[in-house]
Amino acid sequence: MASEQLGKAAAQQRKHWDRKWIPYVLLAPALVTIFVIILSPLATTIYYSFSNIDLIRDRTTFVGIDNYVELFGSRLFWKAVEVNLKFAAIVVTVPTLTGLFFALLLVENFKGRSIGRTLLILPWALPWIVVGLLWNWVVNAQFGALNGLLYTLGLIDKYIPFMADEDWALVFTAMASAWRQTSFSAILLLAALQTIPEDLYDAAKVDGAGMRARFRFITFAWLRPTLTIVLLYNVVLGFLQFDAVWIMTQGGPGDATMLISVLLYRYTFINFDLGMGAAVSNVLGLITMGVGLIFVRLIYRSHTTYA
Amino acid sequence: MSHTYRKFGQTLVRKTITYFAFFCLLFWVGFPVYYMLITSFMNSHELGAKPPNWIPQEPTIENYREVVMGETAVRGAHSSHGEFSRMMPALLNSTFVSVAVVFSNLIIGGMAAYAFSRFDFRLSRIVYLGVLMTRVLPALSLIVPLFIILRKLALINTLWALILTYTIFILPLTIWILREYFDTLARDIEEMALIDGATRWQAFRMVVAPLAVPGLIAVGVMSFMEAWSEFFFALTLTNSLTYPPLLMSYRNLAQVNWNGLAAATTIGVLPPVTVAFVFQRYLVRGLSEGAVKG
Repeated sequence: MASEQLGKAAAQQRKHWDRKWIPYVLLAPALVTIFVIILSPLATTIYYSFSNIDLIRDRTTFVGIDNYVELFGSRLFWKAVEVNLKFAAIVVTVPTLTGLFFALLLVENFKGRSIGRTLLILPWALPWIVVGLLWNWVVNAQFGALNGLLYTLGLIDKYIPFMADEDWALVFTAMASAWRQTSFSAILLLAALQTIPEDLYDAAKVDGAGMRARFRFITFAWLRPTLTIVLLYNVVLGFLQFDAVWIMTQGGPGDATMLISVLLYRYTFINFDLGMGAAVSNVLGLITMGVGLIFVRLIYRSHTTYA
Repeated sequence: MSHTYRKFGQTLVRKTITYFAFFCLLFWVGFPVYYMLITSFMNSHELGAKPPNWIPQEPTIENYREVVMGETAVRGAHSSHGEFSRMMPALLNSTFVSVAVVFSNLIIGGMAAYAFSRFDFRLSRIVYLGVLMTRVLPALSLIVPLFIILRKLALINTLWALILTYTIFILPLTIWILREYFDTLARDIEEMALIDGATRWQAFRMVVAPLAVPGLIAVGVMSFMEAWSEFFFALTLTNSLTYPPLLMSYRNLAQVNWNGLAAATTIGVLPPVTVAFVFQRYLVRGLSEGAVKG
């Protein structure tokens, strides 16, 4: 008896002693690397955005908010904002709705469901760069699949050079992004749908609720938190997409698909204007951080209500 | 009687809608993928056919042979010798980078997640939130300072630059998911082991780690996918050492060998697609926990 208590006390003491330094040691690699690779570049980017960087003479001069003034006064920036808003509108609505549609399908019991569920993962498993390439094949003017399909069906008699047209180019780059993001949205929504307890529906049926009422008050209500998250993810993608658009159009034709991220790339790697590039990235960062903050807040709220 | 008929009618309508929707799904996912696949089995002269041959008339594996052997047969416009010579090395590099990222991410992220889950220490909440916030930073925007730092560390144009950056950028998600996972594992068993005289490490290795295996797999699979797919850093920090930027460089050639490109693309997506299908269940779980719960 006594020895057991003694052991307990010793263990407790050891645990107490443990607690002081163990967490710091465990966290050190993560925090140090995050600091070096993410936070210090972040600080540098903020500093650069207030500087003029002369790469040839290797001189950095502080210019205050000049870069931002120039940026907000430039036609190019507002063009990028306009393009990006249209792009984001498609990337938010199409995957959310199509994803919901596929999720509702795949929760049904039917032959082919497991094939459908496996197939649903496929677009998500493809790298963005491959998604861009796939859609290049779809919209190509000489041998594109879409042209081929419309031609086979007799709907057109001449192939349409989609990507030479400003509006089509924007629509199809957005559709390429929407294509992969639909899978992601549907996977999340399907996972949430599968957790709805069956007896909720049974109870509602007993109470005489019709199909529409059941959808609205059970399915939709249950999905709402997940839908919010899906929407936020899609908004973030709408502003951060780069890979798929870059391989499809590189921002063209003209500036028709010049997202803010493409503008950032142009300033930084084509004009080598690092100061302006940094200013663009901070604006872009603020937009996504704003969305991200809402995101983290929402998650914290759901966390505390569930816990 | 009429009730039964109505019910029958309802199921029929429901069935029809279901299969129509299923067809939409097949078409939506399958159409672009199918077209790339048939392109990869075609000769270049068959590609321009109008209307297209939806089933290749003279299927060939020549494109795949070119990509795997790293050579282009001299024929017509695509006579650039060794066009695909960098493909197989790039796939090897991608594999090495992705596997390394999985392990470094699991070790570093697992340690941090365990610390957040099991210890109350000063500022833990703020540090945790800070870590989460780094996840929504646009990676794109950090590239210039990151390039300078990595150049100082003499890592530019090495695979280590990619391993390091990918690991760090996926860490927040890893910590997030694993912390949540560790939180759900009962502490009692672990405490019991501690009381029985086990050290923290023993308790972790023998009690926590085995129970956490599904969570670890989910996170491992997700980091594999991210590392395999990453394009922008690979483009800017290295000279197309891995698969995605190399693919881009083929696309940018003056004379694109579309059939070869289709074959190269297909080969390069086999690893992530296989991983995704094999670990489907873990993946879905990891995705939805990472996104929804937190």
